[in-house]
Order: sequence, then structure tokens, then C-alpha cells
Amino acid sequence: MANREDIALMGHLMRRAGFGASHDELREMTEGGYEATVDNLLNPERFDPVDDDLLFRYMPGYEGALGPPLNQAEWVYRMINTERPLEEKMALFWHQLFATGNSKVDNPPELTQQIAMFRRVGLGKFRDILVELAQNPAMIFWLDNNGNHMGAINENWGRELLELFSMGVGNYSEEDIKEASRAFTGWTIGPKIPRNPLGRFYWNFEYRPEDHDDGEKTFLGHSGNFDGQDIIDIVVNQPATARFLSRHLYNFFVADEPQVPSWNITPPNDPDAIDQLVAAYDESDGDIRAMLRVLFNSDFFKQARFSRVKSPAELVISTARLAGNFNAPRPGFNSLAFECAYQGQELLNPPSVESWHTGSEWIDGGALVRRVNFAANLLGDTSLPGVKSIVANLRSRGALSPDDMVDACLEMVGPLEVGDITRAELLDEARGAGELRWDTEADVAESEKRVGVMLALIAASRDFQFA
Amino acid sequence: MLTTVAAGRVFDYSYCIGMYGMSGQGFWSPQDFALADDNVMYVISRGAEELGQRISRVTQDHQFLGQFGANGRGDGQFVWPRSIALDGDGNVYASDDFLNRISVFDPEGGFISCWGEAGDGKGELNGPCGMAFDADGNVLVVDSQNHRVQKFTHKGKHLGSFGGHGKGDGDFNLPWGLCLDTDGNVYVADWKNNRVQKFDAEGNFLLKFEAAPRSGVGDLHGPTGVAVDSEGDVYVTDWGNHRLQVYAPDGRFITSLVGDAQQPSPWTQTYIDANPDIVKARRRVNLEPEWRFRRPVSVRVDENDRIFVLEANRHRIQVYDKVKDYEEHPLNL
Repeated sequence: MANREDIALMGHLMRRAGFGASHDELREMTEGGYEATVDNLLNPERFDPVDDDLLFRYMPGYEGALGPPLNQAEWVYRMINTERPLEEKMALFWHQLFATGNSKVDNPPELTQQIAMFRRVGLGKFRDILVELAQNPAMIFWLDNNGNHMGAINENWGRELLELFSMGVGNYSEEDIKEASRAFTGWTIGPKIPRNPLGRFYWNFEYRPEDHDDGEKTFLGHSGNFDGQDIIDIVVNQPATARFLSRHLYNFFVADEPQVPSWNITPPNDPDAIDQLVAAYDESDGDIRAMLRVLFNSDFFKQARFSRVKSPAELVISTARLAGNFNAPRPGFNSLAFECAYQGQELLNPPSVESWHTGSEWIDGGALVRRVNFAANLLGDTSLPGVKSIVANLRSRGALSPDDMVDACLEMVGPLEVGDITRAELLDEARGAGELRWDTEADVAESEKRVGVMLALIAASRDFQFA
Repeated sequence: MLTTVAAGRVFDYSYCIGMYGMSGQGFWSPQDFALADDNVMYVISRGAEELGQRISRVTQDHQFLGQFGANGRGDGQFVWPRSIALDGDGNVYASDDFLNRISVFDPEGGFISCWGEAGDGKGELNGPCGMAFDADGNVLVVDSQNHRVQKFTHKGKHLGSFGGHGKGDGDFNLPWGLCLDTDGNVYVADWKNNRVQKFDAEGNFLLKFEAAPRSGVGDLHGPTGVAVDSEGDVYVTDWGNHRLQVYAPDGRFITSLVGDAQQPSPWTQTYIDANPDIVKARRRVNLEPEWRFRRPVSVRVDENDRIFVLEANRHRIQVYDKVKDYEEHPLNL
């Protein structure tokens, strides 16, 4: 029988490796064991993918979406309804790391293709991911590699590959950037059918040997007639790359770090944890699945409950999953996509290639009000299936004292651990109306209402903002 | 190829109609259409979320006559408009598989009434899709998420139903479109079972159109629409494979049509011609992906055996002629 602590740990895992799970799901996973659950998360192919046919039957506008927010809504649908939560969470991780935006690309289906690529290779070798990224049409256009020609280089992709995507500032020279850029000349997008009233047509990567600078280059101390793949091979073998990627994984999955631009001058909060991840990178030849296995099974991860501020996407998706009213195609996914944007994270359209600032910077006055209102409105609505299920769970326990009612509600939404101030507020509310009873129809109606209010209060708490 | 010759039939590509339009001239994720008198067609657009839902009145020679219906839950409005059918008086019936109702409009688009109750009991609807009127003026409705076909009077009084959830003959799994032939037989696109089933007018199973047992020839992936021509040949929009499958009356596979719209519709051509950069870009690229079907969703055949194929993701209709007097050209040309 799963105990409360085991379920709490499983809740932690699913908040980080996915978008949360219901109490019933957590109980079932806990019966299977923590490491087995990690193994399932790391092997998403064991579970069915989202049924594209069903999605596009009911939401035909999602396929080749003509404009935002339809492409964002399509991704929101997948994040809520996937049976492969880590695959989707990794797509979000890579999107936040390799931030590519519609503000410039102006082609929603191509951004959706990029996310699909992250889904396909996101748990593989970092080298393979970088090669796919370098050949991804949306990225090529985003960072101007289609304008990077032999004899007339454009350094944008070469610079960001090193600065933002692999090594971080301070680990390469301006000359390295130029040489890397030379190696990526000729990596471009083939001629494409322009947009027209028949919809969008996909772009394709094209290698043009006549535009590729095949001369000798010197890059990070290595010399040769390098092309893009050679550059990536050198990059992924740099100690700085292992450390930079490890810190990103830690920041996304474990605990909030300082903002990325300060990493070259600010040490990690937990250097030992970073060392463990770097070792996993080195031992596995940069295999993301191997790094995450170490991460999720580590003590530093298990002890890091509620030490990250939920990103808007995490808050919106996990709350909608818990409320249970978006678990099939239906109108309304656009509003969830908009909600992410209103809270500061417009999916598929980050503010710049530097991506979003995370942690406490997700929160400002306006964003906090939106976060609280969104979560409280959903979890306080006792007509929604997920909330009904929580009410049913509490009812199955019989009459509950105010203290037990608070504990049960917290257990159902995480389980969520709250501080003394929050607990006191919740108890104050619960005690005001006495014992939760289910004896008569009037009792049931009143108790349902009180559970809804309690869940809304929990959703509005400071503690609920953390994952 | 523009002309397809197979098993004694000749299908000749003619032209295409339509383009994307959020409103007004054009369609947005169109799901179904109906051929009316005087070359008029009604095309129902799904749109997306709260935009684009409507029925467009256009002619087969590219005139936009107007539109009616909009997003909403009130009279004459739609959330998920899906399919369309005309009664003997030319009134327009439109199904909505979110609101679980059938809305009725006069030929000019004036709202008349709506009927339908959500549920799984007799006469109740869960995801109504394709519709067709029989010779008695009653309407058959694919009750998709109840996995059955129901018959109603034109005012919505329930008359009967057939089918249930499953894989066996006469069962359905999320059926989508349907049509009747001149003998009153019913053809149902059994979407998730990847087949079309033929029933007599009483709903008795007769035949199925699907992949041949060993070769797999003539397979379907998510068939959505079906139509029968004057010679009994059966046309199926093979939505998941982006093609039109053609079968003989006995179920034998004849050929596939994959879309041949090499010449954009006049509406689309006007858009292209208005932008010199687009004209320039089109001269550098293989345009074949543009010709081909993308999510063909509904097919209709007129009294002259012209075949109209609606594509949800290209927002247009491609038209083929079934040529009856085709003479083979000299092969040594």
C-alpha cells in the first residue's frame, strides 16, 4: 500500500517530469515504484502517442495552423492529453533553450514542426539534437543561416550555437564564432511555395555545396576542413558544454538558478549536483536520457520539492489537467494558449533568442493576479470532472474535521506542502463552517461548495505557485 | 496526371473552386458541401475556435453569393459545423457535432428551425455528422459518437436507427459521412474502422469497401465522405491518405485520384497576381504539393457524373469529369 510520503514524492516527480498527475494516477504509479515510473517516463515509446487523427478530425484548424494562437493551442492540447509526459516536457525544455519565435519566423506550422522534432529526438544524444536543430528550417530562418554564405558569413547562428545553445559566454572567442559560421555556410532552406490562400507549405533543409566554404578552419584549438557537423562534434566534447547543459537541466527540472546571462560569473546553487550531471553526460556520450535518469533518481532532485516557480505553461497545463475539462478535443484551447501568454509565456513566440527569464521573474503583479485567478477559477468550479473527482474522494472518507478537510484538499492537489501562514488561513476558513458532512442532500450541496472554496483558496496561495 | 484511365473508366481533371478565407469569399477548413439547382453550392466551414463558422453560397463558376451562420449557440449559429444536406425544397440542413443539433435554413440562408437533443437514447444525438435525404423526404443522420445511423423526419421526429459500436459487419467506430444511391441503399464512411459499409434502406448490411484481404489494395485511412455515380461506382474521400478512392459497385478497387489542381482557382490566382514577390517565388519551386489533395473530406457527384472533391486543408473543391465518350489517342504520337 502506497504511503503518503511515497505519493508525495511521486507527485514531485510528475510535476517536474510532466505536468502533474491526479491523486488516483499518483497512487497507481506509486504502486509500480519510483524507479519503474522514471523508467517509463524515459521510454515514452511504451505509451501511445496523441491520436493525431482524432485531434485533426475535431480540430482541423490545428493542422498546418494558419496563425497563432491555433499552433499554440495545438501544443497545449498535446501537453494536457499526452500519455508521454516527459516527451512533452522535454519539448518544452528544448523550446525554452532553443527559443525560436513566430515574431520573426511568421510560419506557425514550421514552429510546430520544430516542436515535433524535439518530441522525436529530445531524449537522445545532445549531438544529434544539435544537428537536427542546425538543419531545422525554422531555426535556420530565425538565426539567419539562410543568409550565411561562403565569403560573406552571417554569424548569428554560429554565435548563438556557442553562446546560448551549448557552451555559454566566456568559453570561446570571436574568431571561433567566425570559423563556426564558415562551417555552416551552405546549410539553408530550399525554395519554398510561398504562402497563399491554399494554406502553408512546409520548408525543407537544403545543403548547397556550391555555397559551402570548404576551406581550412581553426575552431576551439582544432584545425581542419570542417563542416557544421564537425563543429557540433567539437562543441559537444567541450567540458563547458556538459556543464552548461547540466545547469539548464537543473534549472528546468530541479530548482531555480540565477538567470542564464549571469552564469559565467555566478556559480551554481548546488555545484555537486551539476557535477553529477556532468559525469552522466561524460559517461553517456551526451545522452539526455542517461542524464535525466541520474537526475530523477538523485537525492538532490528528491529533496527539491517546491523549489521552482512554475512557468506559466506549467501552471496552466497542470491546473487544466487537474480540473479535467480539457481531456478531449473541444473549444477553449485557444483560451489556455492565451492564458500562458497573459501570464508571460507566449508559447512558440519567446521574447528573443535569449528566451524567457525564469524563476521569480515569472512573477510580477499582473502575472500573479492572472495566475491566481486562472487556477482558483478552475479548481473552485465543482462542475468540472477533475474537481468532482476530488469531492468524491473527500466524500468517500465520511465526515471530516476542518483540519482533516484541509489536509485532504492539499493531498488532492499535489500533494501540496504549504507553509504555516497558508495553513493557518486555510484552517481558519475550514473551521468557520465546522465539520464537513455528507449525511443529507443539503449537507452534500454545502460540502461540495465548501470543498470548491477550499480548493480555490489553495490555488490562490503562495505555495501553489511552486512546483 | 490530369487524365486517369482505369478499368474502363476515364476521370479527367477539370478545374477547382475556392480558397482560404476567414470570412466572405473563401472557405476555412470546410467540412462538407451540397450541390443545389442553378449551379449553386453550399459549403460549410468549420473555422477554428470562435472564428470562421458559416455556410457559403457560391456558384460552380466562382461567384460568391453570400454567407449565413456564425459562431455561437443561438438560433442559426454553430460551434462545430460539420455536414450539410438539402431537402426537396432546397432548404439547407446543417449538423453541429458539438451542439448536437441540426439547424435548418431556407435556400437564401434564413433560419427556420433547429432540432436535436444530446444523449445516447433513441433519437438523441452525440456528434451528428453526415446527412442525406431519402426519397420519402426523411433524413438519415450519422450519429457519430453513438456509432449509429438514425433516421428522422425533416422536422426531427425519430423514425429508427441501425448500427452500434464495434468492428463487425454493420458495426461502426466513429462514422462520419454517408450518402444514398438511387435505389435507396445507404453508404456510410466508417471512419475509425477504415472502411465504407453499404446497407439496404432498412439498414441491413450488404457490402463493404476496404483494403483487399491479401494485397491491401484499395485501403482506406479514416474515410470521411462517400458518393455514388449513375453507374454505381463509389467514390470515397480517403482523408488520412489524402486521396480519393474509386470502387466498382461490387467493391472492387478501381483507382486513386490524388488531386491535380495545377491551375489555381480564379480567387487564388487573383491573390497570387496581386503580389509580384509571390509570382517570383512560385517560379523557383516545384508546385506539385499545391496540386495534391490535402485532407479530402467530402465528395459529391452531380447528375452528369461530375465528381466534386472538397479538401479541408486546402479550402477548395477540385472537379473531375467522368468521361463517357473518351477515345484513346494514337500511342505512337
